[in-house]
Amino acid sequence: MKGIGADGEYWAALAQGKLKMQRCAGCGTWNWPAVWRCGECGGWEQVWEEVAPQGRVYSWTRSWYDFGGPRDLSVPYVSVVVELDGVGDKRLLGTLEGGEPAIGLPVTAVVRASEFEGEALLSLRWSPSPTQTAKEA
Amino acid sequence: MSVENFRGAVSVAGVGLRQYKRGKAPLAEQGVLVRAIVDACEDAGFNPAEVDGFVSYGDDKNEPVRLMPDLGTRELRFNAQMWGGGGGGIAGAFGIAAAAIATGQASAVVVFRALVQDNSGRMSAAVMRHHLNDHLVGAGLVAPAQICALRAQRLYEYHKVPKSVAEELVLASYYHGSRNPEATAFGQALDLDAYREGRWIAEPFRLFDCSRENDGAGALLLVSAERARDLRKPPVRLLGVANGAEKGWGDLGENDRDYASAGFKPIARRLWRQTGVTPADVDVVQLYENFSAQGVASLIDHGFCSYENVAEVVRYENLIAPSGKLPVNTAGGNFAHGFVHGIGMAVEAVRVLRGESANPVADAKICLLAGGPGAPTVSSALFARDDL
Repeated sequence: MKGIGADGEYWAALAQGKLKMQRCAGCGTWNWPAVWRCGECGGWEQVWEEVAPQGRVYSWTRSWYDFGGPRDLSVPYVSVVVELDGVGDKRLLGTLEGGEPAIGLPVTAVVRASEFEGEALLSLRWSPSPTQTAKEA
Repeated sequence: MSVENFRGAVSVAGVGLRQYKRGKAPLAEQGVLVRAIVDACEDAGFNPAEVDGFVSYGDDKNEPVRLMPDLGTRELRFNAQMWGGGGGGIAGAFGIAAAAIATGQASAVVVFRALVQDNSGRMSAAVMRHHLNDHLVGAGLVAPAQICALRAQRLYEYHKVPKSVAEELVLASYYHGSRNPEATAFGQALDLDAYREGRWIAEPFRLFDCSRENDGAGALLLVSAERARDLRKPPVRLLGVANGAEKGWGDLGENDRDYASAGFKPIARRLWRQTGVTPADVDVVQLYENFSAQGVASLIDHGFCSYENVAEVVRYENLIAPSGKLPVNTAGGNFAHGFVHGIGMAVEAVRVLRGESANPVADAKICLLAGGPGAPTVSSALFARDDL
């Protein structure tokens, strides 16, 4: 139930409100799901780099039927797959609030704490990124 | 194993299918399964006690050794199951059975799947448990419908596949099901308004875009092609099987590269190469559709159409027997025939090639069985008439 395997550091970072993703110390490949051994170069040393919780919506669905997810998510709610900026096109999941979903929509995440089947659960709550100012653009 | 070896090695000699409304099976799961296996043996004129191998998929709970007393099994020589919790493994199960027979490990192998809710619970929940992790749960993604909806949305919104193709596929399935006395939809062709006004499940899926589970069991008896010729029914040969996943596809937390696909492109390539058959040679398709968009993506992956021309190919008129060029799910498929984790589609692949389908396809020689789409591993098989 917990994690996908080698992603302990991801959850530890999330608990501190940070987003960290795994990278091979040997060849620099971003590996996700996290790995014990880099399948690209065979390296066993992996590092966790803090990255900005921002990206673009890769796909989305709005659930209307209650399939029995975390209780603080009441239907209808929107789930998203987000392609992170600058992390080798790796995608993370989460919910979307505060805007209509669309593929390509720039989004930013904060950490959401909830509970599922009696256990604490951390996840990413995405929302549309604030419109860029002229200075930033 | 050479291509020629596989082509001639193994045939389906008998089929059996027992199907009920979900929660309404008259027997417990193992009892229903024994019935289906004996049905398959009687269909072939074969003594059930001589079955010496069993193969299943999708985490079936019926360990073959427990079937021995009921079947009178003389010797159990081979029992195996495909990895993976979903319907992606259905065709691969035939590959395991063929390997066992071709290498002499067993001589008569039953491929089966049984599901009775009172015993095994909801199939969708079991499939999802296989892959569930905190990444998915935290996003509220706890059911196959939601995962497939994410991929379908990408297919429609990004790849611009028109949503009408889902409707065409569903209507064709219901047309076939409405004419099949064994089907859940017998006598009830789907009303287009009912489809369009179906309640939302997970966008872009409405109710009739989703298959709904049945209780039941199905069994197919496989023996050597030579031995099958001495049995009661015309044999249906297993031409080839491909199974697996390519790099960039799998259990990757929605990081699959060809995301809107059904995962079949490399598997289909291997199947065509293995058998020398092309999509144009296929007379009829049994297309596992857990959800409408995944059925369409499976047809695209297998090379029957592309993102560009999908709306020209996936048309109701083109998908129905006997007039359509690409008859799909001639018994009604998972949508309208019934859904016992897809085993009914394998049974129909055999029936349609024998000329026993409720929706016959004249002179059909080759039938594709495309397994559960979108699963981390998927599989496909080609069946053919013995006189191909």
